[in-house]
Amino acid sequence: MQQQVITISNKLGLHARASAKLTQLAGKFSCEVWLTKIATKQRVNAKSIMGVMMLAATKNTQLLLETNGKDEADCLQEITELVNNKFGEGQ
Amino acid sequence: MSFVLFGLGISSGIAIGRAVLMNQTPLEVSRKNIPPELVETEISRFDKAIENVRKEFLQLQNNSKQDQSQNAKNKSKKFVELSAFLNVHMMFLEDYEIVQKPKDIIREKLCNAEWALIQQMNFLVQQFDSFEDNYFKDRKFDIIQVVERIVKELLSIKQNNYQHHHKNNKNNKNNQSQNHSQEQNQSKNQNNKFPEIIVAHDISPADAMEFRQQQKNYAAFLTDVGGLTSHTAILARNMEIPAVLSLKNAQTLIKPNQLLIVDGLRGIVIVNPSPQILDEYNLRKKQLALKKDYLKKRLKSAKSQTLDGVDINLYANIELPSDAKNALEDGADGIGLFRSECLFLNSSGNSNSNSNNNNNNNEKIFNEDEQFFAYKSVAETMKNKPVVIRTLDIGADKVLPMFKNTNTSALGLRGIRLSLKEQHIFNTQIRAILRASAFGNIKILLPLLTNSQEIDQALNLINQQKDFLRSSKIAFDENIQIGGMIEVPAAALAVGFVLRRLDFISIGTNDLIQYTLAIDRADENVADLYDVLHPSVLILLYHTISSANKVNIPVSVCGEMASDSRMTKLLLGMGLRNFSMQSSQILKMKENLCKFNVSEITPIVKRIMKLDESNKIREALTKLNEN
Repeated sequence: MQQQVITISNKLGLHARASAKLTQLAGKFSCEVWLTKIATKQRVNAKSIMGVMMLAATKNTQLLLETNGKDEADCLQEITELVNNKFGEGQ
Repeated sequence: MSFVLFGLGISSGIAIGRAVLMNQTPLEVSRKNIPPELVETEISRFDKAIENVRKEFLQLQNNSKQDQSQNAKNKSKKFVELSAFLNVHMMFLEDYEIVQKPKDIIREKLCNAEWALIQQMNFLVQQFDSFEDNYFKDRKFDIIQVVERIVKELLSIKQNNYQHHHKNNKNNKNNQSQNHSQEQNQSKNQNNKFPEIIVAHDISPADAMEFRQQQKNYAAFLTDVGGLTSHTAILARNMEIPAVLSLKNAQTLIKPNQLLIVDGLRGIVIVNPSPQILDEYNLRKKQLALKKDYLKKRLKSAKSQTLDGVDINLYANIELPSDAKNALEDGADGIGLFRSECLFLNSSGNSNSNSNNNNNNNEKIFNEDEQFFAYKSVAETMKNKPVVIRTLDIGADKVLPMFKNTNTSALGLRGIRLSLKEQHIFNTQIRAILRASAFGNIKILLPLLTNSQEIDQALNLINQQKDFLRSSKIAFDENIQIGGMIEVPAAALAVGFVLRRLDFISIGTNDLIQYTLAIDRADENVADLYDVLHPSVLILLYHTISSANKVNIPVSVCGEMASDSRMTKLLLGMGLRNFSMQSSQILKMKENLCKFNVSEITPIVKRIMKLDESNKIREALTKLNEN
């Protein structure tokens, strides 16, 4: 299992479209992907868009990303990149 | 098996009865039981519906892509946006929460797919509702939209094998009440001797009005949502029945006809109680009734007075003539507000006439004699105590059948505006009120005044009716007092023109707040902005009350604020001496008043009035109320 703390840095936070991108990316991997909102300990399956949206993560929210399975390292890296690239939104 | 649910207890009291389930999510869907052997068929019906909606979405997305390429630049951004949302919606159709959870519910509860899906939707919507961030909060609408699509699809898929369980599934929206009774019939059992307890997601004012019209006397209300100030809470307090709100998932856990004990004081619901518990609660219920009786007897005869001897008048708000008896029993000093429009709403319900036949309906509802007898009976019941009858006030939330096609916005043709436009209706009502005034102490109250011309015009019409009665030698009170509602900020700010023309004024706080803060009371999206303690509201109240007191014109408050015990000291300190409220609140109010010292409160309230921020006012008021 791999872990990484990520910070949501785009202006709109994990809004619908960003959640969709994250969920779709997570869905490409066979490993389990979990996100935990550090402030509230709320833990959701990152492959569920509903779960990701229910984190209601606004800008600057800290999340713990956990991956567990065969391709866990790649998955962790790609999701971290997506988040750090502000979901390709430029702001 | 017995279990206990916890929620927000409203109005102290205990009710014992059997559950009646009501579902009123946007899509009205009722619960049906599915025999175990057909559960898998039901699940495949659900899968099929999801698959169909997915295909539908895919089709839409393909179309939009084609459009996009055709329209090249000018509209493309809009389409990208739309298609992104459609994409999100399509992902919902693959999400565990939407695709899998309802199936678990079907298996577990042996219920129809629509009901399972709606239960899951309610659960999700609640989660989103709890977010502080408005963007995330609003995402619940995406869920509702998707679920609506699926339910529509479900309703169109034939339900072959178990038709007798699904008889009413089509056109569910229209025959909910039918479903209701069918459900009840299905599960007739030994609990039938108990009164009914309604279990709902939420109860709207319209539902409440329907209960009254159908003379459904529920013993208690249980709802999944709602707070201390929700409509359901107000309604329960008014009807003096216990309620437990905010139970979260009472609707899923409680089955039709189950025996329930509702403890409004503690906010507890006991489902399927054991005989011992039932006995104990029966005893407790009796004790409470005895105690209430005692309080009533002791306080009823007492004068309403503050600790330092200031006399306060406590009036009752009523809706139907039959409410007057309760008002008198509760020790009201009179009727401060008779909402006459409820009489009409009720009359249309009883007359049972065909709503297509508009002319006929009009006559039936606005029959002068019918009105006369109603007003007379209230006047006589109250003996010589004042009875203030507010002329027809059709609001945004109350619509009469004959005005169904009119736009009844809160800023539209309502109150006195409608009366001056439809003068025959107003004149008929005035004649009925004047005739009844010969039998008691009746006063007329004009709603929604905004300018002096309206008052002059209304007074003129009233004088014409007086002339008519005089010439017909029909008795009426020559000195009948006429007052006005202050519920529009314009009338509160320039209250002088009202005070010069009329005998008394009454402040309707609910509308005054709505108009001052520009908040549509019917729109839940802005409900959290409804702030009783907004400085502007208090300034308007203070100005109106003190202006009236200066010229010795009686002023009363008849909105929710009048019965809110947290507001009593504030209003007393502003100089208010007349309160009008649901009669069930009067004894409680009397009990509070005799602990208050007006001479101490007044200077503190004057200081509070210098604050101009809600938070600071709220803080100061809490301090004042704690003393």
